[in-house]
Amino acid sequence: MDLIMPPSMPELSRKAAVVGVGETDFHHDYRAQRKPPEGYEPPTTEGLATLAFERALADCGLDRSDIDGLTGSFTYGGPPPAELAQILGVKPRYNISNGNIMAGPLPVVCAAIAEGKADCVAMVYAVNSRSAGRVFGGATHPAGSASDGNGYGTPPSYYYYHPWGWSSQAAHWAMIFAHYQAKYGVCEEDLGAVAQQVRNHASRNPNAVMQKPFSIEEYMASRYIVRPLHLLDICLVNDGAVCLIVRRSDMARNMAKVPVDVAGWGEAKIKHSKLDTMVRQQLRPQLQEAGGQAFAMAGLSQVDIGHFEGYDAGSIHLINQIEGYGFVPQGEGVAFCQAGGMDLCGRLPSNTEGGNLSGSYMHGWSQVVETVRQLRHEAGARQVAGVHHAMTSLAQTDQAHPILYSRGT
Amino acid sequence: MVQKRPDRTLGPGHDTFWEWCARGELRLQKCGSCGEINWPVRETCEFCGHLAFDWERMSGLGTVVSWCSFHQDYYGGLLQVPYDCILVELAEGVLFLGNPQGFPADDGAPGLAVRLAFIDCEDSGGPFKLPVFERA
Repeated sequence: MDLIMPPSMPELSRKAAVVGVGETDFHHDYRAQRKPPEGYEPPTTEGLATLAFERALADCGLDRSDIDGLTGSFTYGGPPPAELAQILGVKPRYNISNGNIMAGPLPVVCAAIAEGKADCVAMVYAVNSRSAGRVFGGATHPAGSASDGNGYGTPPSYYYYHPWGWSSQAAHWAMIFAHYQAKYGVCEEDLGAVAQQVRNHASRNPNAVMQKPFSIEEYMASRYIVRPLHLLDICLVNDGAVCLIVRRSDMARNMAKVPVDVAGWGEAKIKHSKLDTMVRQQLRPQLQEAGGQAFAMAGLSQVDIGHFEGYDAGSIHLINQIEGYGFVPQGEGVAFCQAGGMDLCGRLPSNTEGGNLSGSYMHGWSQVVETVRQLRHEAGARQVAGVHHAMTSLAQTDQAHPILYSRGT
Repeated sequence: MVQKRPDRTLGPGHDTFWEWCARGELRLQKCGSCGEINWPVRETCEFCGHLAFDWERMSGLGTVVSWCSFHQDYYGGLLQVPYDCILVELAEGVLFLGNPQGFPADDGAPGLAVRLAFIDCEDSGGPFKLPVFERA
């Protein structure tokens, strides 16, 4: 069943704050899987989830007994709520399965806290995409798929065009960029600046999976996945877990670290004409609609946002988002990136931990962790100076889910 | 020569589409209420939710909107990489994804005028005619 998003009402703004974050060893785990040491055991969803939870708990300085809410979000399967509570050693009064990707779980928890269902919720996400041999494209979604096994409807664009050999998320981004190229006069070398910028950020994040900067020549020499997109334009596939501890806003003050208030959110999905909306309009109607909801709920606008974390499943998709939310005019996003606009001292520092392209592919969850670190001003070598408001964006091929955050007091 | 292809989505509605292709006609679902053309095949109109469709014959003329070329082998060697796909805006206004026949899909493709053709293919459901596009 699709997760039901709570409405983008100002009454729900800043009612809950992220007070603790934890994540697993993305860099180390990826290396170990690529080159397994003697006696290597691949990580389990449960083991990853437990580690992220312990770290988040330590990060906020709370005790297990303070946790009265628990949600589990497992993209490719994980323990049911009661079992998860047992594994983590908590006794929550609020305990649910909470979707999977970061397209609603956090607003769901904020609304639950506002309704009094819990005061302090541990949100656990884990995925073992790489160990489980998850592949994208081809037979992943067979002809006639109606569900991907998680009870979610599979978009027809994931399987309907098999007879023409067209499938995979990469193919979506490739077709978007091939159109964008022709429409705005942007070339492959230009787009390379996006993956390069995100990698430069990752070089300042010791936990990023890929940290070595590359030149545009190296980008151009990397193999095509689906032309015009190169390997370096497409996100990683890795294992990991993230835990967020979200507390009632008034109880989140005077803690070990600065709280990060969840200020607003939005949601918009393509209702019809997917290929047209995606390729010719670069998802702009959905990004505008969902962004508008989130900004109105938070009482903020684009100029207030000092840090952005977009869903860079493909490099061009990140550009679609900064354009669609109105940070830069349509067709100018790549040039904006080339001019340093997404760098640490640019107008919109973006994906500063390395995003999905170089950091970790945690379906939008690690982007929330980075946002919390940036707003706490504890991001070290990659800290954006003086940032007070930030935006994360989960955008798929057919929907947009932005969330806005404010540095608490 | 018959080309092996990955499996089509078959079943009620989908079969009708492929039956028209077998007769050399590209026909898509036109909503009996709002008149919008739906593609891929659906049970209800994605614009208005209406249940009844007419199978409207497309002229087969169109313009390339976008393209891509697969270098990653997603089909276990069934299709020889690299191979190309194009996204075509049909004269009737709907976008239809297909393969270019006899010309490369690349930077020069957007804006190119194309026309429909059918090629002989086969999947696990049997032989079928696949709609593709030639330069107009």
